[in-house]
Amino acid sequence: MGQWTNIRELRKDIPKEAKILCDKMLKDLERSKRPMLEAIKCSLDNCIYNPRVGYLTPGDKRVKTELNVGSVQKLARVVFLLEILLRNLEIQAVNSKREIYYICKGEVKHNKDLRALDFDSQDESDAIIDFIGDMLEVYREELNCFANDRGGQTYSQQLVVTETLPDGSKAVVDLGTLGTTPFQPKNKPQSLKLKVKKKVDFCIVIESEGTANTLATNGFTRRNNCILLGAQGVPSNGVRGWTHLIQNELDVPIYFFGDLDAYTLQNIFRTLKAGSAASLIRNADFSAPEVRFLGLLPEDVEKYDLHCYSVSEKDASDARSLKKAKDALENDPFFLDKKNKKLADILRWLIKKKVRCEQQALFMVDPRDPLMPEKIILEKIKKGSFV
Amino acid sequence: MAKITKSSTAEYFAKNLQQVGFSSPTKAVLTTLKESVDNSLDACETAGILPELTIEVVRMDKGGSRNTDLVKVSVTDNGPGLEAEELPKVFGEYLASSKFGRGRCTRGQQGIGISAATTWAQLTNAKGAKVISKTKRMRKAVSGLVDVDIKTNKGVMKNKQVIDWDQPHGVHVEFQIDGRIQLNGEGGLLTYIEGTTLVNPHLTIHYKMLEDEWIHIERVSNEVPKVPAATLPHPHTMKLGEFITHGRLYGKVALSNFLRTGFSRVTDESIKEFVKNGLVKSLLGKAIGQLSESELKTVFQAIQETQLMAPSTKSVLKVGEESLSKSINRLGDVDFFSVVTRKPTICDYKPVVVEVAIARFLHRENEETSVRLLRFANRVPLQFDKSACAITRAIESVNWRAYGLNQPKNSLPLGPYVFAVSVVSPFIKFKNASKETVDASDELVEELRRALMQAGQKLSRHIRREHREADLERKIEHIAKFGPILVEGLARIVKASGDRKERARLGLSKILGRDSKEAENALAEAKDKLEVLQAKQAENLGMSKEVVEDGSVD
Repeated sequence: MGQWTNIRELRKDIPKEAKILCDKMLKDLERSKRPMLEAIKCSLDNCIYNPRVGYLTPGDKRVKTELNVGSVQKLARVVFLLEILLRNLEIQAVNSKREIYYICKGEVKHNKDLRALDFDSQDESDAIIDFIGDMLEVYREELNCFANDRGGQTYSQQLVVTETLPDGSKAVVDLGTLGTTPFQPKNKPQSLKLKVKKKVDFCIVIESEGTANTLATNGFTRRNNCILLGAQGVPSNGVRGWTHLIQNELDVPIYFFGDLDAYTLQNIFRTLKAGSAASLIRNADFSAPEVRFLGLLPEDVEKYDLHCYSVSEKDASDARSLKKAKDALENDPFFLDKKNKKLADILRWLIKKKVRCEQQALFMVDPRDPLMPEKIILEKIKKGSFV
Repeated sequence: MAKITKSSTAEYFAKNLQQVGFSSPTKAVLTTLKESVDNSLDACETAGILPELTIEVVRMDKGGSRNTDLVKVSVTDNGPGLEAEELPKVFGEYLASSKFGRGRCTRGQQGIGISAATTWAQLTNAKGAKVISKTKRMRKAVSGLVDVDIKTNKGVMKNKQVIDWDQPHGVHVEFQIDGRIQLNGEGGLLTYIEGTTLVNPHLTIHYKMLEDEWIHIERVSNEVPKVPAATLPHPHTMKLGEFITHGRLYGKVALSNFLRTGFSRVTDESIKEFVKNGLVKSLLGKAIGQLSESELKTVFQAIQETQLMAPSTKSVLKVGEESLSKSINRLGDVDFFSVVTRKPTICDYKPVVVEVAIARFLHRENEETSVRLLRFANRVPLQFDKSACAITRAIESVNWRAYGLNQPKNSLPLGPYVFAVSVVSPFIKFKNASKETVDASDELVEELRRALMQAGQKLSRHIRREHREADLERKIEHIAKFGPILVEGLARIVKASGDRKERARLGLSKILGRDSKEAENALAEAKDKLEVLQAKQAENLGMSKEVVEDGSVD
């Protein structure tokens, strides 16, 4: 098997580091000392947000697992999975998390001594894989383990993508030749190189893939020199990496357009712009700090008199989302930072008004004009109506 | 114009027997048994006798109607017995009851049930109830066949005979009816007997179902429950019509005296408040019989406007935690139970007492089936239309997961448990005349919830201890399982020599040996605590393992 392009320039020799770690564990055992594994604590209380860096980075807190009766199973499973991942790296094999789960099952099946390690569900093996990544401070992809997530569906008349294949050959895709078919990068967009045929004015990430598709079909990318991307809800690693690549390779303003609700701001937009607390060690390569929030904004709701749904504290799911929004204003370093005050203000507005508005509401402004959403988006960009 | 005719009460019920529990052949057998047992237990309790019942349900032949059997249901009690002239009234006349509207917590309330059973026997087998009765006064017993004269709502006794009977006193009643026998499940006869046994710890019962052997269950309490006397009515529980009728009974008594003596919770202070709220002061001195209806209406309205103390709870009766706990052991091998008797309280202006017993049985349903629910109203098992009942609603509204039980959303929890929930009140609001479902008012559901949650908390303390024990056992097992795998894995990754591997294995066993010892100590401690808890339960409530085994009905 050939060598895939790396996500980043990794200064670590993963097999070497892993062996050092295992050797230390073994030495501890020889001395009847309890070995201890440490990993970065990936949670909101260990997040640092520096607006100059632009994404969430880990603090000093670490999760420590010392060998005892309660943790012996976890440690044995870590070593078991580490061995499988190191073997994959050695032979350049690549697997998804699901496949790794079945590889574990296969190992257990063929060796009865390992039977106690068997995983009941994929959640269990996934948690160990994530722990190994956090422990070695490497991306899961650097352990040749890929999630089955895809980059967003992308439309553009100007963008040309070049992929370097393991055998060194290049695959070139001119998005302008794809008609209404979107280009969808795989889950390791870092292996792609981008070029534009003509200057691109902006890139817009739309929360709903359906709306992105409608805009493209109605000629948005033909009339505008732009890149149009559908995010499909909470951005996957693929979408995050792909947006990061567009930001780094092409010097274009990037806007996000989605619903006006706490979920979109906290879970979708914040993750796209600054990464997430659960993926602290990978935010550097999986976030696009330059992305602006184009809308929907509270001012759009008022200006275009858009239909809103009420958010009720009596409804369990609404009450949860209101509570989460309040928590974010108190504890999320991203919303606490002065630079994002305007975004925090939107959250406050949502909590106060107890409403939410969907991005598709733009279609009610002039129901007979299919191009009205496009006109509004362009006007907002032109007039600087974004955060 | 069609001719307007008048029907007797008996005619009405004869045409509408489904309203009082005779809606199917299976229910007919159960209702007949239930009405006979209720009457016997009420009679014994009223006379202060510890009840001993002998019940027999057998299939005699093919029934007259399609898909039915001719079933004999007989119940013999050791109660005070009935005089010969009372027999046709009790068994053959509707609404002829000593309990109607008395406001006491007796099982029967209206005097409909047993006459309905006689009617059913008459309609399906052309023969009413065969009865034998003997009171202490009588030297010989009297026997006969009681029929309902449907046209006149009068009981008629045929074949009246004086016979020898080996019992000092009591009643024997036997019905031969068309029906079908169902033993188990929600509407089963055994389920009914099990429930009756549970809430009547003072009952000794002997029964035979179909071709099965006779079963004998001894009483676990020698105290006859004393049904408290009815208290005076509370004015807020009355409607205007009732108030006026109640007033007419007092005739020449002055209104102020009537209010003070005819009701509970009305004091001189409250009468002053009535005046403030619109009662004309001059009416207070007038005789109640002289007041016009409109004047009585203003009095009634002023009373309703005034805040009064809640009704007294003295008229309710409870089984009691101790008796309930002892009684549970008669149902099978229990390895844990929790019992809660709430203080009597007022729900919807009526005194109510709620009791809950939760027991886990060793040889019952598995973890995946719903708990078995036994519902009781005035110590009578409720066996149909479970979903609409206040008791079911209350159980479903409690989050049992918090107490360590599995529970699908808005459903009964799962597991090998029996939930017995009893509501006792002189004025239970049933949803139908056949008394199968307690109406779910918000206040009653809340009171039931509180009792259930208290029982749940006791249950969860026990379950948590068990989980801790299981957890420690699992940890000790882990050490043996995972230790060697860990060393092997590490050694393979670093390509360690055999010597290193051996040293690491020794080191690991030292570390985990220490842990293992700690875990074993903790496990022994947890087991001790659990045993102490179980022993304490047994001691406090006077039960022993022998009682559990001897008294088993399973």
